[in-house]
Amino acid sequence: MENKVLKALSKPSKYGIDLDISKYFVEEPKISENFEKEDYEILEKASKKLEIKEDFKYVQINQKAIYKRYQEKGIIVIPLKKAIEENEIAKKFSWKIVDPCLDKYTALTYLKGNDIGYFIYIPKNVKVDFPIYNCLILKKDIQLVHNLIFADENSEAHIVSGCTVPHQTEGIHIGISEFYISKNAKVSFTMLHSWTKNVHVRPRTSAYVEENGEFINYYISYSEVSSLQMYPKIILNDNSKAHVYNVIIGKNSAKYDIGSKIILKGRNSSAEIITRAVALEESEIITRAKIIGKNYSRGHIECLGLIESEKAKISTFPTLISKNKEAILTHEAAIGKISREEIEYLMARGFNEEEAKSIIIKGFSKIEVKELPEIVKKQIERIIIKNL
Amino acid sequence: MNILKLENLTVSIKEKIIVKNVNLEVKKGELHVIIGPNGSGKTTLLASIIGLSYVKICNGKIIFEGKDITNLPSYERAKLGISLAFQNVPNFKTIKLEEIVNEISKKFNSNKKELISILKIENLLSKKLFYEFSGGERKKVEFFLSLLQNPKILLLDEIDSGIDIDSVNIFAKIINDLIDKKVTIILITHYGKILEKLKKITKVHLMINGSIVLSGDISIAKEIMKNGYEKFLKKWKIKF
Repeated sequence: MENKVLKALSKPSKYGIDLDISKYFVEEPKISENFEKEDYEILEKASKKLEIKEDFKYVQINQKAIYKRYQEKGIIVIPLKKAIEENEIAKKFSWKIVDPCLDKYTALTYLKGNDIGYFIYIPKNVKVDFPIYNCLILKKDIQLVHNLIFADENSEAHIVSGCTVPHQTEGIHIGISEFYISKNAKVSFTMLHSWTKNVHVRPRTSAYVEENGEFINYYISYSEVSSLQMYPKIILNDNSKAHVYNVIIGKNSAKYDIGSKIILKGRNSSAEIITRAVALEESEIITRAKIIGKNYSRGHIECLGLIESEKAKISTFPTLISKNKEAILTHEAAIGKISREEIEYLMARGFNEEEAKSIIIKGFSKIEVKELPEIVKKQIERIIIKNL
Repeated sequence: MNILKLENLTVSIKEKIIVKNVNLEVKKGELHVIIGPNGSGKTTLLASIIGLSYVKICNGKIIFEGKDITNLPSYERAKLGISLAFQNVPNFKTIKLEEIVNEISKKFNSNKKELISILKIENLLSKKLFYEFSGGERKKVEFFLSLLQNPKILLLDEIDSGIDIDSVNIFAKIINDLIDKKVTIILITHYGKILEKLKKITKVHLMINGSIVLSGDISIAKEIMKNGYEKFLKKWKIKF
């Protein structure tokens, strides 16, 4: 295995610009249950940027993991490295859902990341009322994160991960997130990203959803970034569901390549991938969505783009592959600019042109996500209102 | 003192003259009705008062509260207290009614919750603005949004077209109440129904081919609604 992964260290990702990862120095791992003064300062800046006021259960600053022991209902939130030492499930499932040989970023995290990241375990029949908040902060150079989330049968949890940099820095953030959703379990994963112009980001998420399970993946990125590429993969078994929502607001010269792949393996499984891309200034956004129907199933892709500058660019590639005549797969894609008529109308209602555009873009960026808890929806709304 | 004065106003759209040399004086709290056959320039006249960008003022002036606003952009005019209920509204596929209500309320520091129930539009709040509305619902919401700006002068462009009789009554009552509160209104309509319900019509203006050819009291509208424009123009030997 080790050899194969070593080889993969030079394997570029299928999409996105190829990065030279050899020049970065990965810090030694540290695990702590206490914040130092400096950590607090960094965290404070990060939560401000991410509009998150709630307590974080897990914070990672570069390779330093800081966490608070969860005391309720047998829920576990601890650094994955620690979990692998003491928890059979963590040991069994680590690197089983995301292949370390996927590309150089997964390989590097496998080899050098020391499994610094969070492990979340939701016991059978437990419904976590309040979302579990985590914060991943890139301080400098490179941050490698490896998360594993295991939702046992008939459980429910909402996880919010805020990822950011506290100040202008140059570097790479690589985040591996593996989800195992057991029978009848439901997990939502909300990623709130705010980066700066010299940061490259490579999230690598995969989810395996058992019978009757449900996985919701909500992703919003609203900052400038050097490059961000991801292509999460979700496998659905019988009667299971996945909802993937991506909201990308490209600023400055940000380059986004956002994909999602869902395999409808099980009978009566269903999935939707909904993307809203707003390209401002000189940003470039590529959205990819792929649904593969292997059984009696339903899948829908919706990619909508708003392009708001002569120098911006949006490309969208929806792909539907049916391997079963009973799979019903549909897609809708449209890229356009804001209608002049709508702006004119709002201007007559007292809004100047900039305000009118902002109202329209805000509306465009809001996806109705009924599966997320109210508190998370409000957080997202705050972000959209503040950043547009 | 006039709240609004149009002086020799000539307006074009795409190089074509639509409104010709219109003079109009409106005092605070007055209700003026503009009637005229299709294509006579009524909508363009209101569009030029609010300052929509597709209309070009070729000549003349628009004076609002003593200030020349001829060259002000529409949003500045809206902030001064001019509000237009559009005849045709765009479909907003991404904005819900409640979102736009919040934005306008915030901008104009207004709250018209009671009007939402009077107009019976509560069920539309979570729907996409105009896009998910029926014809009559569009008119009600557009009227409501124009009121939400707390206007000093309200320009109503065929708000009574295609609405049921109960709604006509509600609209008329709202207009009557506004006039009592000294809000100024210019109303374009094709129907006598709403005119019958309006208590204090100051003047009726007949617009033909871009010009106001006759101004007078409600009897003008009554006769036209009864006999039609052609007969009326012939009878009174109005040349244009």
